[in-house]
Amino acid sequence: MPSWPRSSLFAGAMIVLLALAIFPWLGAPVYFVSLLFTVFMYVCLATSWNLIGGYAGYLSFGHVAFFGIGAYTTALLVKGFHLSALETILSSVPAGFVAMLVALLVGYPCLRLRGPYFAVVTLCFAFVMDLLIKNLNFLGGPEGLWLKSMDLPIQTVRAILFEAMLGVTALSIAVAYWTDRSKFGAGLRAIREDEEVAQTMAINAPKLKMQAFALSAFFPGMAGGIYAYYLTYIHTDVVFDMMISILIVLMALFGGGGTLLGPIIGAVLLTLINEGLSTFVKAELARIIYGSLFVGVIIFLPNGIMEFFRRTQGESPH
Amino acid sequence: MLEGEKVTKHFGGLVALSEIDFEINRGEIVGLIGPNGSGKTTLFNVISGLYKPESGQIRFEGTLINGLPPYRIAQMGIGRTFQIVRPLMDLSLIQNVAIGVMYGRDDINTLPHALERASELLRFVGLESKAYLLPGKLALEDLKRLEIARALASKPEIILLDEVFAGLNQKEIEAAIALTFHIRDRFGITVFMIEHVMKAIMETCSRIMVLHHGEKIAEGEPQAVANDPRVIQAYLGAGYVGR
Ligand SMILES: Nc1ncnc2c1ncn2[C@@H]1O[C@H](COP(=O)(O)OP(=O)(O)OP(=O)(O)O)[C@@H](O)[C@H]1O
Ligand SMILES: [Mg+2]
Repeated sequence: MPSWPRSSLFAGAMIVLLALAIFPWLGAPVYFVSLLFTVFMYVCLATSWNLIGGYAGYLSFGHVAFFGIGAYTTALLVKGFHLSALETILSSVPAGFVAMLVALLVGYPCLRLRGPYFAVVTLCFAFVMDLLIKNLNFLGGPEGLWLKSMDLPIQTVRAILFEAMLGVTALSIAVAYWTDRSKFGAGLRAIREDEEVAQTMAINAPKLKMQAFALSAFFPGMAGGIYAYYLTYIHTDVVFDMMISILIVLMALFGGGGTLLGPIIGAVLLTLINEGLSTFVKAELARIIYGSLFVGVIIFLPNGIMEFFRRTQGESPH
Repeated sequence: MLEGEKVTKHFGGLVALSEIDFEINRGEIVGLIGPNGSGKTTLFNVISGLYKPESGQIRFEGTLINGLPPYRIAQMGIGRTFQIVRPLMDLSLIQNVAIGVMYGRDDINTLPHALERASELLRFVGLESKAYLLPGKLALEDLKRLEIARALASKPEIILLDEVFAGLNQKEIEAAIALTFHIRDRFGITVFMIEHVMKAIMETCSRIMVLHHGEKIAEGEPQAVANDPRVIQAYLGAGYVGR
């Protein structure tokens, strides 16, 4: 990555953030506000996933579970404590912590497995969570759960939740930015390249992997909480949808795993392309184009779109 | 500072190490030789924690270390190189070394400081001009040097060198011998080295151990060991001795 001075980088990020924050209040159609909300959500999910999947090389195919756990945590908190609108939004914080806790419990045994075994076991974990919640009646079971919406015009409600999702996304990017240049991130990279060698370099690989996995579950948990409030109705088929798990992985790798900008670029592009295709082209055709595009990038840029920038700069990855 | 007692390691039915006793004292350069497949690398893997021995004890500064995870052993001050080089492929040389510095026993935790130190270490092993290349661009001799720089990055008390002289020409061997002495004299690091290049062993080591089929068959001063009939027999096969 080109290394701009830190202050101008920060100023640039702040300007972008501010511009995005004003957007929903400028009277844009709800459609665009919703579309951007979805873009943020995927940027947040892919960026978080990148901490464990991209930097540490542990491909989690079960990340939707953390999103779903966050959604259900918020829904349960709202139901149990009759939370106000503001409290509901803030409940995404405990939702994130619950997701993190689950990640610690699941990560302890699973992170001993490597490569395809880890991918498969995380996939199974997401299936199990889905089934478990579907079969627990106090969680709505197969009927799902309703959340009371805010007593405000839809435009305002969407704008408020837009800001909340933007905030979580910005936070996840800030953490990824820190990881990218910290000792923590360097250790994760070493683990990705060769975990045994990393250990002989005095890197406490088991601990670092747990930290990365927990962190990578926290933001999806928060995003899930906000998404639940946004939908006002949640069902396991929606918030534990395996497609989301797969999309997260695809977006991060499409943009470039283990880089700061890769998952952001991947999530923005794929969300917009997906949206564009599903509006303008027949569904089957859309899926074919979407699939071919992905195959094309994998063949020509196996390390994602970021690889292209690296090549043109001709320098080793940062 | 490092001692092993009856260290034994099996691979299925194969006895790769059979009740090996050894002791390395601080400040020594000790050689470990033996024919191919005699168990030398396995001994290093057991010491550095990558393999767990079936029985026996390994102590470092008096503390029992067998059974500890590799990162703990590295944190205690045992560094190593890999015979079959294992660079972190997607990271430049300086990053390979800088990561070792940050996690090592030096009190350096930030990237800029670690990069500074890493570049000193790369200069020390003669790789400064290639610091920003990826390992994939390097020849094997250079990758062996990278192994050394990365092991030094953790600031170990003792370094285990596994055939870092292999494939070097006469002139490069001279340089590598000087480097070995520097590791001990300038960094104060004890050296335990596996080597096939006899010249290097004879000139650097004060003491050598010989493994054969997982057993220690000789130990002592280089000259004496080189003339030991059992050692000659191990290397050249039975029937050679006395011919
Ligand atoms: N991971 C392993 N699994 C099974 N067998 C192994 C393993 N590692 C080593 N061995 C076997 O143990 C024996 C000792 O191997 P080792 O690599 O320690 O030999 P070495 O003395 O280092 O030889 P070389 O000089 O060729 O490097 C060999 O027979 C080898 O095939
Ligand atoms: Mg060997």
